Amino acid sequence: MIETVNLRKEFGAKVAVDGLNLSIPSGRVTGLLGLNGAGKTTTIKILATLLRQTSGTVSVGGLDPVKQPHAVRKRINLIAGGERMVYARMTGRENLWYFGQLYDIPTKVLKPRIGQLLELVGLTHAAGTRVEQYSRGMTQRLSIARGLINDPDYLLLDEPTLGLDAPIARDLRKVVAGLAEQGKGVLLTSHYLAEVEQLCEHVYVIGDGRHLAAGSPAELMAQTGCHRTVRITVTNLSPQIEAAALAFDSRVRLAPGGVVELNHPDDLTGALTTTIIESGGALGGLEIVEPSLEDAILALSDRSLEVIA
Amino acid sequence: MSVAWATLRRSWLVTRRAYPWSYFIGTLLLGVFTIGLAYLGLRAVAGGEISAEFRGKAGTGDYLGYIAVGAAAYMFVVHGILWTGKAMIQEQREGTMGALIVAPARRLPYLLGFSAFAFTAVAVEVAVLFGCAALFGVRLAPTGAADAVLAVAGLALAVFGMSAVLSNVMIVAGEAHIAQNSVFHAIALLSGFTFPREYLPEAFRWLGEAVPVTAAMDVIRGVFTGGTGLDPGRLAVAVALGLAYTAAGFLAMPWAERRAMERSY
Repeated sequence: MIETVNLRKEFGAKVAVDGLNLSIPSGRVTGLLGLNGAGKTTTIKILATLLRQTSGTVSVGGLDPVKQPHAVRKRINLIAGGERMVYARMTGRENLWYFGQLYDIPTKVLKPRIGQLLELVGLTHAAGTRVEQYSRGMTQRLSIARGLINDPDYLLLDEPTLGLDAPIARDLRKVVAGLAEQGKGVLLTSHYLAEVEQLCEHVYVIGDGRHLAAGSPAELMAQTGCHRTVRITVTNLSPQIEAAALAFDSRVRLAPGGVVELNHPDDLTGALTTTIIESGGALGGLEIVEPSLEDAILALSDRSLEVIA
Repeated sequence: MSVAWATLRRSWLVTRRAYPWSYFIGTLLLGVFTIGLAYLGLRAVAGGEISAEFRGKAGTGDYLGYIAVGAAAYMFVVHGILWTGKAMIQEQREGTMGALIVAPARRLPYLLGFSAFAFTAVAVEVAVLFGCAALFGVRLAPTGAADAVLAVAGLALAVFGMSAVLSNVMIVAGEAHIAQNSVFHAIALLSGFTFPREYLPEAFRWLGEAVPVTAAMDVIRGVFTGGTGLDPGRLAVAVALGLAYTAAGFLAMPWAERRAMERSY
């Protein structure tokens, strides 16, 4: 388990992380979300021992990264999509070999692992090609293989699929899910919220370094009032039909083009449709828009901005 | 030591690919020009004669031999710092510093790997330089094999210590050129590579004492050009300063690395 208690990080007068309490258990993918500048990367860098917190405590599998950084580094790894993290003038295989040496991995373990990782990220054919000749996506895939070279107990993923082609990103998501199933603890930040919804059982949302909300993606959507939206197009919308629809529920809104819209925690599609038909309306279309995690994050961030303002 | 060996191998691969032939041409030309210009200078300025004052202060009348040894030592120092001292800022520039720091490898074997490569590469350059010098009649005559080994080891330790400190300065400042070039100019002036330090004002001579390679150069001079043999006192000073710089560099390294990481966030 990775745990932080009252984690705070200041860069001079700027407070990047302000009192965060996180729990990242083994065997689960935990999400860390927020808008740009929310403090996600700073938090991950602290957990990865790259930065030291100003105050608060961090525990990685019972180890203190401040007092036992080398012991912590043996058990974690970091994959950051925004940084290259591999050597341009070395081949893919040479890069993995070199990082294997930095982790003191025995040769008989390292050699097959390099082959497995290259296969995992689809770079077996380019193992002997210098990274400077790789595309951005290939470089990122190699960086992912590097992040797995020490078979870490905890994996910190900062935008890991940034710049990846869809099939490779999909394969990486499978890998991440598989790592969690193997019992590893994974912390994930990503701008691709569908990816977070798919992978994360638990998500922390932060804004300006502060905790905004936590829960499963479904719980976050419920907490923020993000519900499914029903849009019914009425071809013969009249004042009478409008009045009936508006009387149905206080959340009903009328939109241009003869659209009656309802955003509600309960599924009232059938009842609203019946009301419209009974008042003489003719249906031209019915659309149901499911809420997304993105809506929840935006709602949380907007609230945070309102509080600051 | 697998980290040191791996880093040495990595340096070899990268250098061979980055400078497939120009690096070695440059090395050859450096040796030719260093000795050639010293020879021409001696002929053009001094008419081929060495003053009694220079003989007294340098402990030798073989000016070209004096220059060859000084130039070889200077190459040793410069390349040691360029490879070892700049290693971390190169990681920062290449975007690999985070991946390096998050790995559990210690920095000592990592930097030793760079030093091993630097000293191996400079050995080739020094061999070329002395090959050129031999064409002008220079003969390298150390006072003993053990003396020579100890003198070079003292210089290597001094360079390593300076590199450890400079590495921190460079990554904290996020800039290498001012740090390295200032140091190169300062030691060229203060440490007795191309002229006897006795020509310097006393204040500059004392300033030079704070630089580990100054005492190491005195040892080199005694063994390779002065004919006075190994000076244990000056060797002890070089070793003590080299160790002190090394300790200071490694103690400050975690702080410097964190500052370097903070600058990018």
